[in-house]
Amino acid sequence: MLSAITNTIANQHLANIALNPIAQVSIETTLKAIGRPAAILVDKDISPDTKQYAASKEFLYQATCLLTFLGIIVPLFRKGGFQLAKKVLFKDKPEFQKFENVKEFEHYMKLTKKSIEDRRLTLQKEKVKDKYHPDVRKDLETNENPETYPLIVSTIGVFNLMGSVLGLAVLAPQVSHMFIHPALRLLGLEEKNKKGTEEQKTAPAAKIDTKA
Amino acid sequence: MNEAASKFLERAFLRLGNLRKPIYPVMMIAAGKGIFRPMFTMMDKKEEPETKRYTAIREGLTELIAIPTYYFCGKASASLSRLFPPKLQGNAATNLMFIGVCGAALFAIPALCSVAIKPIMDAIHKKKAPEPQPIVLSGTVKQSKFPVKYHNNFNSLNTFSSRMPDAYRLNSRIGGV
Repeated sequence: MLSAITNTIANQHLANIALNPIAQVSIETTLKAIGRPAAILVDKDISPDTKQYAASKEFLYQATCLLTFLGIIVPLFRKGGFQLAKKVLFKDKPEFQKFENVKEFEHYMKLTKKSIEDRRLTLQKEKVKDKYHPDVRKDLETNENPETYPLIVSTIGVFNLMGSVLGLAVLAPQVSHMFIHPALRLLGLEEKNKKGTEEQKTAPAAKIDTKA
Repeated sequence: MNEAASKFLERAFLRLGNLRKPIYPVMMIAAGKGIFRPMFTMMDKKEEPETKRYTAIREGLTELIAIPTYYFCGKASASLSRLFPPKLQGNAATNLMFIGVCGAALFAIPALCSVAIKPIMDAIHKKKAPEPQPIVLSGTVKQSKFPVKYHNNFNSLNTFSSRMPDAYRLNSRIGGV
């Protein structure tokens, strides 16, 4: 039992996810989208209508943030960042010119983790037959430890990080703000909540829940 | 791009790319939110200035609490990796740090905010509270926007003193303060 927990915590795949800002942000936002509404619904000091409204709003906010992040930010910054580095920022660097796009580089990085025999077999396949630059192909087929291109890895990491920060702090809240109120109105929660607050305002002072 | 700029950019990217720990992205996102969210709130033209200020301070404070909380939760959980065999310590530290960050986002930050923000907001609100207004006994009294001119309706003889200029009469110290 203990060894199972130890192996799970020290899992290499989990470590790869934890070190990838996109995966990390996605998991964290998913947890927030589940956990925060659940925490609101458990709260006993709020009226049921307010609870429903606040929980729905929180869920919609986190969900739209996640969708915006995955749908716009990730492709834009991952692919666009690589192309920007290749064509503008590091156009003199030969390593960037060896790869067509970020997808090809990521496939290459996956291959570097395999054994040399597995790599040779993969490179024989129809799909990747004409894929790589001759130097890269040669490196994969003959070298036991192929080049890892730290500058390209760092560049992709930096653009991912920039995308995560700008996406979650600037763009996603704006998109979700535009989407949340119509969605709440469509669900009939906004009117309900308005009525609730009106009732609370007109209610006698003695009946107001001071804990809330 | 010139040589020096390219070298600087390369060094900067390599350095930033090496910040591969789960706490850094979340701390950077929190810092970004701490700057941009209050800014957007203050730019909203539909809201009342007082409401805007309150919301912006609240949002800023939430992110201000979030940054060190992410750091300490991540570091504290990563330190548990010492309990693992030396071979697994690297991966365990990364994964535990990630678990710590998730725990901070789900539990620690909301809990800390609910404890800390209300007293801070109350303290700020008390400082900015306006001075108590004098009690108005009748609700029907209307104040004129023009200066009130006092008219003496008593039937009395206009003496020399009553014809003196006002400024002269008010500045004279005779017969009183």
